[in-house]
Amino acid sequence: MSNFLLRKAEPKDVSDILRLIKELAKFEKMEEQVILTEKELLEDGFGDHPFYHCVVAEVPEDKQSSDGYTVIGFAMYYFTYDPWIGKLLYLEDFYVMKEFRGSGIGSDILKVLSETAVKTRCSSMHFIVAEWNKPSIEFYKRRGASDLSDEEGWRLYAIEKNDLLKISAK
Amino acid sequence: MDFSIRASTLEDCKDIARMILELAEYEKVLDQVKVTQKELEQDGFIKNPFFHGIVAEVPEQHRTKEGHAKVGYALYFYTYSSWKGRALYMEDLYVMPEFRGKGIGKALMSKVAQLGLAAGCTQLNFAVLDWNKPSLDFYLSQGCFDVTADMGYHCMRCEGAALEQLAQGDT
Repeated sequence: MSNFLLRKAEPKDVSDILRLIKELAKFEKMEEQVILTEKELLEDGFGDHPFYHCVVAEVPEDKQSSDGYTVIGFAMYYFTYDPWIGKLLYLEDFYVMKEFRGSGIGSDILKVLSETAVKTRCSSMHFIVAEWNKPSIEFYKRRGASDLSDEEGWRLYAIEKNDLLKISAK
Repeated sequence: MDFSIRASTLEDCKDIARMILELAEYEKVLDQVKVTQKELEQDGFIKNPFFHGIVAEVPEQHRTKEGHAKVGYALYFYTYSSWKGRALYMEDLYVMPEFRGKGIGKALMSKVAQLGLAAGCTQLNFAVLDWNKPSLDFYLSQGCFDVTADMGYHCMRCEGAALEQLAQGDT
């Protein structure tokens, strides 16, 4: 099935983007952690200095999902910086609704992102994957991704707002 | 010891480049550094910079024997959490060995936290090597938690030939 198109997200897509973010978070067993709102997505993605960029996958009306949606996949990314090698593309979220998998939509999204990375002279594309998510890990490793946590010993750390407030007050 | 923390300027790129190499050497990966002082100047000081920097500076009388007054730095940039919105990623945090233990690292991190909160960020993320015990201890004492250990997230990378092939759709 090549009956889908990939395009840059527009302001009208924020409702679908948030829906898909929540579906992906549910899959990662983290649904209650999503506190982002449509208003924030709109301000942060479509102002003068966007914090993120988004690509969406859309199917025609006659191919809509069982619950009536035509925007059925997305990827959210932004540019980061490695002082050793320069610009990088960071893939924050990447998701295709279950009923639309297996038709090459995910592969095509990844292709578009990689083209963007190469065109903007990024040396690398980075992302995180949960270690129990075997299907995704296999998908990425087949495409040449390496696991930096395993291979180089990198561990991702986080400080949440409460502790940030304490640190900033010191 | 007296020191000041401030946003980096174009003129600081030479010292930042020097300290990037020092940090890479500490992490045993000096051969991986390809970025030049010129690229740092270009990428950090344009209208929409790819990163922001802060430096720690000591007064003349405390300069190193090679004459350096800029003795620490942090590099960070804004990212986005699809769960929580605006976030900050601290890419590098470094203080020259002879200036450690004086609160400079804490002050640099505090400045990063302040700037992040002011910009509406609710989270600060960064990566640490699992053998780097002094850094791990320092971060845990500041209230950080290990996302890789606690939630099982692994950092992945796709680069070079693999990235090119992905772009061409050859899987």
